[in-house]
Amino acid sequence: MTISHRRSLANQSNALQSTGPRSLAGKRASSQNSRKHGLNSAPDFESSSEYRALVDLIAEEGFSGFACADIASGLLNYRRVMDAYYDTYTSPEPVDEFLRDANMKASNPIFRELLIPSGSEPADVREMAAFFTSMQRLERRKGGPVPRRSSDTHKLIRYQRNGIARLSRAIRQG
Amino acid sequence: MPVEDKSKSLLPFLSSPKLLPDESEAEFQSSLQSLLSELDNPSALAVALVSQLNECLWWIRRHTVDKELLLHEAMARLLTKAGSNWMGSGNSELSVALEHYLNGSAQKDQAALIEEALIDANLTLSDLRAKAFKDAARHIKLVDDLIHRQHQTIRHLQRSIDSIDYKSRLIKRMDLELAALESKQSAKGVLSLDDKPS
Repeated sequence: MTISHRRSLANQSNALQSTGPRSLAGKRASSQNSRKHGLNSAPDFESSSEYRALVDLIAEEGFSGFACADIASGLLNYRRVMDAYYDTYTSPEPVDEFLRDANMKASNPIFRELLIPSGSEPADVREMAAFFTSMQRLERRKGGPVPRRSSDTHKLIRYQRNGIARLSRAIRQG
Repeated sequence: MPVEDKSKSLLPFLSSPKLLPDESEAEFQSSLQSLLSELDNPSALAVALVSQLNECLWWIRRHTVDKELLLHEAMARLLTKAGSNWMGSGNSELSVALEHYLNGSAQKDQAALIEEALIDANLTLSDLRAKAFKDAARHIKLVDDLIHRQHQTIRHLQRSIDSIDYKSRLIKRMDLELAALESKQSAKGVLSLDDKPS
């Protein structure tokens, strides 16, 4: 079902009046809203079964106990980064086609119709229209799915660089 | 153990590839096997590293395709902006038509749409491509950075594989030298026992 232009603008202007979640569960859920990939949190590889299996596998190649632990956690860390890389690449921020293609000049009468009856001043209507125009500019600047996934994945470059450097160092020093 | 079995016996998270829906797993595996066949001494760790290296090569392929897609998207955007159908046919529709047109696999209506859009915009295909390149330069640079990062990662992985190979050669050589010393020692022992006066 396609949503009408008028309904979509009404939904978006109503959402701006929201004061956020009230229940504990809602607050807990929204506290994770800014979480992107989780690569900044400290991982606990040592307690995983994969880590132990990997240590046993590496130990067969004559590395010392410390080196095995370093290499195993380096490899698991690198895999964690590359899995996040794949997830970021395959699920970019969706394109808001409605906002991108909307004719903002034609939307001004709709804003007036929506806001004036609820006691808003003409200045408020102009402010709302300016806000949506700036949102549209931002949306257009982000481009389609390919530029979005490229710029999202680009943010993970430093994690990949650190991950591979750590793994490589562990192997060469082991 | 043969290399193929070694790559299969590795933990699933190291050996199972994460592919995109339109990619072939058989192609991925054949590229992995050709890399594995070049290993002199395929230990489990070396196989794990070669799997990561193969994944990097795969990422380079994906990002290279993305570069071309970025250019197509920018070309379509320029055409829609310049033409009269800015609100009509969407950017994505034109982008798909353009992709087929450039590949030479466009249907009649797609080719007509592109040619009409080019006339509307008063541009030739090469002018459009040059303009689109300028327009998408910021995003193309990001993709170039991603490709460069994969090259750097491959270099790190190659050095690690060399280091494992060297380490195993060193261990083998030391084992051989030790065995030679031991056999020499035992031969001396036998000789000295023989020399003892009865």
